[in-house]
Amino acid sequence: MTNQTLSDSPADLYQSLSDAVVGMDEDGVRALANAAVERGVDAYTAIDRGLVDGMSRAGVLFETEEYFIPELLICADAMYAGLDVLRPHIKRASTRARQRVVIGVVEGDTHDIGKNLVKIMLDASGFEVIDLGRDVPPQRFVDEAVAHGAEVIALSTLMTTTMDAMAEVVTLLRDAGLRDRFRVVVGGGPISQKFSERIGADGYSPSAPGAVKLVKQLAGEAA
Amino acid sequence: MSELTPKERLLRVLRKEPVDRPPVICTGGMMNAAIVEIMKSTGHTLPEAHFDAARMAELAQDVQAATSFENIGVPFCMTVEAELLGSSIDHGTLECEPKIAREVFPSTGTVAFGDVDQMVRSGRIQVVIDAAHRLARNNPNVPVIASLTGPVSTAASIVDPMTFFKELRKNPAGAHRVLDYVTRLLAAFAERLLKDNGAGAIAVGDPSATGEILGPAMFEEYALRYLNQLIDRVHELGFPIIVHICGDVKRVRPLLAQLRCDALSTDAMVNLVQLKTDFPHVTTMGNLSTFALQWKEPESIGAMARQLVAQGIDIISPACGLSTSTRLDNIRAMTSAVKDGGV
Repeated sequence: MTNQTLSDSPADLYQSLSDAVVGMDEDGVRALANAAVERGVDAYTAIDRGLVDGMSRAGVLFETEEYFIPELLICADAMYAGLDVLRPHIKRASTRARQRVVIGVVEGDTHDIGKNLVKIMLDASGFEVIDLGRDVPPQRFVDEAVAHGAEVIALSTLMTTTMDAMAEVVTLLRDAGLRDRFRVVVGGGPISQKFSERIGADGYSPSAPGAVKLVKQLAGEAA
Repeated sequence: MSELTPKERLLRVLRKEPVDRPPVICTGGMMNAAIVEIMKSTGHTLPEAHFDAARMAELAQDVQAATSFENIGVPFCMTVEAELLGSSIDHGTLECEPKIAREVFPSTGTVAFGDVDQMVRSGRIQVVIDAAHRLARNNPNVPVIASLTGPVSTAASIVDPMTFFKELRKNPAGAHRVLDYVTRLLAAFAERLLKDNGAGAIAVGDPSATGEILGPAMFEEYALRYLNQLIDRVHELGFPIIVHICGDVKRVRPLLAQLRCDALSTDAMVNLVQLKTDFPHVTTMGNLSTFALQWKEPESIGAMARQLVAQGIDIISPACGLSTSTRLDNIRAMTSAVKDGGV
């Protein structure tokens, strides 16, 4: 699928990278990323205008329901294949401190796809994501958020019975006098906007792309 | 027709025959009413009842007696099939249902195929079968519904789901092999429940098979195809089958009408009246909000249930999996509103 030639400009290369991510072409992305390295193209820009741009286009297709979970996951694999090639070549000067999000599933099983999607899309949006996995006790969210100096704590659950544990995270933050330091967002099958308000969280999103928008907005406020 | 037993009423509705009023049921499995309040009062508790036929039957009987749902439902989780197929299970607690701790296979290509006819005589499948047998023997007038985990959800519980969902697109042949295998296992499980052990109907919940997750093309290629394969097998055996589809279904509405099940159950956000109007041949089931059952008061639950009856919904039931902290007085308000019109 790649027809990259040496005569193409860096801008064309970025576009091809972006297209290959949206096109779910993992091998193509890897080849283009290697070509970018060989040609000495700025790795940070290739990531930003190529891989990240492609993933964000995939996110738009997901929101407009042209792509679904399988497609989005395959796009993410393509993006990560490119990142593996390009990241070691980022010049220090072009990196900037990334805002941090601590994310985890309060109680759930292996079908924590929603959380994984949010993580992927936050990654692609330039956040540093600390993934605590699943069945995370409330106190650990607080401890890790403090330890990593995170701006946002993102909680997901798949089980209705453990929605109380989400409320507990907010309570723990409040009791420790830390509530204002972090923005708390919630999501997952049984969660709703009403529930988010009930427990005093800062926001709720029913979808992964929505969660990324929410985190961007809230992290901006926190910064 | 006031003489109808709960079993006759449900079976008639599933055959599209006239009845005096809709039945009010809760299938078990994903949609089970083994709430903490009931278990604490009877002492028949989870997680123990997941593993022992006598205890499972006792709890199912307790749930029916306390709630007045017009069926008895087993089991109380969605991990029976995946555990038998090799995945490791977190057995849960009184408050929290069991869940998959780790899938046994990293990808469809690594799945080891067993002999399904042997497998359905072992593990917790045998526990569920024995429980259904006891319950059917002791309750001739109340339908015993056995709940199965749907093909896509079962497959995504034995193969790492992140990989499995990608393989639906990247490796269709591998995905079909696994789905065919788990569907054969589910059909063999259903056959044992129905043929010799007294279950009156099968219910299937397939929460990983939604339009939001798969999109219409893959819903048709995988979910619809294998659900219909299971449905056809249950029909060959001469029994009815109910399918619950999660999510808002808007991307897969026309495909839902192609499910050959005897009743279609949906989540609370789905307008069942509209679904009935669009697809008159579909027997609708649902869809009282489980959020409401947990948080609202009995008066509003009664009103919601009466509205579903007034709208002509064929079978009244909760819209989704109930929280184990759901209030019993709310469930009772739901069942009595359907039965007597009262709160």
